[in-house]
Amino acid sequence: MKATTTTISRRELVGKIGKGATLAVAATAVSGQAKAAIAQRPVHYAMVIDTRKCSGCHACSIACKTEFEVPLGVHRSWVEYVEKGTYPNVSRSFLPRLCNHCEEPDCVSVCPTGATYKRKEDGIITVDPEICIGCKYCMQACPYDVRFVNPNTGTVQKCDFCLHRVTKGLEPACVNTCQGRARVFGDLNDPNSEVAKLVATEPVTVLRQEMGTKPNVFYIGADHADENDLRVAGQYVRVDTHRPALERR
Amino acid sequence: MQELHWGLPVIGYLFLAGVGAGAYTVSATTLLRAGANGRQGDNFDIARYGALLAPLPLIVGTGMIIFELGTFQAAVANGDIGLFFRWINLFLTINMSPMSIGSWVLGVCILASVVYAYTFLSEKSRPDDDNKDLRRKLAWVGIPLGISVAIYTGVMLGAVPARPFWNTPMLALLFLVSSLSTGVAGILLLRALFAHGQDAQAGEATTDLDNSGYMLATSDVKLICLELLAIVLFILFAKLTVGNASEAISIILPGGALATMFWGGVVVIGLVLPVLIELKYVIPTLRNQQPYAMPRGTEIAVCAVILFGGFMLRYVVVAAGQMTGPMGL
Repeated sequence: MKATTTTISRRELVGKIGKGATLAVAATAVSGQAKAAIAQRPVHYAMVIDTRKCSGCHACSIACKTEFEVPLGVHRSWVEYVEKGTYPNVSRSFLPRLCNHCEEPDCVSVCPTGATYKRKEDGIITVDPEICIGCKYCMQACPYDVRFVNPNTGTVQKCDFCLHRVTKGLEPACVNTCQGRARVFGDLNDPNSEVAKLVATEPVTVLRQEMGTKPNVFYIGADHADENDLRVAGQYVRVDTHRPALERR
Repeated sequence: MQELHWGLPVIGYLFLAGVGAGAYTVSATTLLRAGANGRQGDNFDIARYGALLAPLPLIVGTGMIIFELGTFQAAVANGDIGLFFRWINLFLTINMSPMSIGSWVLGVCILASVVYAYTFLSEKSRPDDDNKDLRRKLAWVGIPLGISVAIYTGVMLGAVPARPFWNTPMLALLFLVSSLSTGVAGILLLRALFAHGQDAQAGEATTDLDNSGYMLATSDVKLICLELLAIVLFILFAKLTVGNASEAISIILPGGALATMFWGGVVVIGLVLPVLIELKYVIPTLRNQQPYAMPRGTEIAVCAVILFGGFMLRYVVVAAGQMTGPMGL
């Protein structure tokens, strides 16, 4: 009788250990939630830009301007020209720019009204024009300088991966129009999507990785050079951008 | 040339909010501690001037940042009435954004400072009059509120890694000390402008006035020395790193675009000059117990340069932060 009790209690003990182990695993899973959340999102939109295929034609800039009636002097998406070296050792490359839809967006964490937010369903970061007060704090926080105040509405705007198009199954306007197919847009959660394949197989880079924002716009063959980088090498570098200040921050 | 998304209205706001928050804090501590000598009612005039001063710069400064809002500017440009009051959205929510928390703290601070000033409004205000209890309660509330407002301005700028010049905890400390120092200067200025005239007629009260003047001047010397220390640490910690912060700080170091403005306007005119003048009058009293008497004109000049220095500090910091950025891309 006593032995039986012991056996049962042993069984219980084993059961309890099992439950404990399950709990421990669960706890570990919770602690790793931040990382898991990326995968758990139903859709994980991202863009890959193959700069080797970009000819700097600005079709994307124009398509974007047209799509959103972006006022003169401000840009949701633009192309930078990077020119460097001294003849005959020179290079010129193109760097299409847009919002990086970061995994850890600084713009979202500083927004005092909650007007700018990262969508839980697909990770797109957007600004609610009915809530934004135009305080420009997000413009200070963005390391990529992709935000601007629309002079007509006074609210802050930026690239939203063409939210109105992608939710209807269309590609963003810039991707749709890209002549060299340099811009590729898709869902990273789908292993068969072109973006997922490119990110997995190509040597992709992101802009200003050291800021820790974890961008969702990846570049292939991008020249990240600017005046600061090559000052030490004594190289001539000129970056033509289309920001109002005509200069990268 | 870089775009300055935050321009003069924000610079003016950071300065004025600092003066107001500093004046409220100094007034409240003086009321509660009676100028550290523990005798209730001492230095009541300082508490009164600080209380009457505080709401004004707080309200004017807050009005100024509303001008900087994109929606307000669009409202003016397009005549859209609905956009004028878009800033109300700040008070429909609260989140972990330093600006959100700051707006609420600022709002509460303005309300408290207005009521606090009201308790001092009558010229017959005495330490033991009818408003005594309300006044002391608001003084207790005012110290944390004033310090929070002064600190939050630095935290707000410091919270963005994309602005390496701002992204340091020293900035919040620097702004706090500068707020207290400019708050003291504001009180001294009010006293110099309004109290001296009354006491010249009263004759006897001059000693009391000079005693409280001595207390303010000595506090100011300490605060300015602390501020100089904060500036040294601010520069050291940026300069001693490698990369973004080090590159950014070079804009105020010799050869940088804002070096003259910083060393000339902030350090020499705004801090070193006033502290030297104050020491000239404070040291004889401190060492030899001679009666303290700073001429009224000198007092006004000292306050003016301290306030100028406080403004220049905000100007240089706000401009430098936006003119510099992370290196590379």
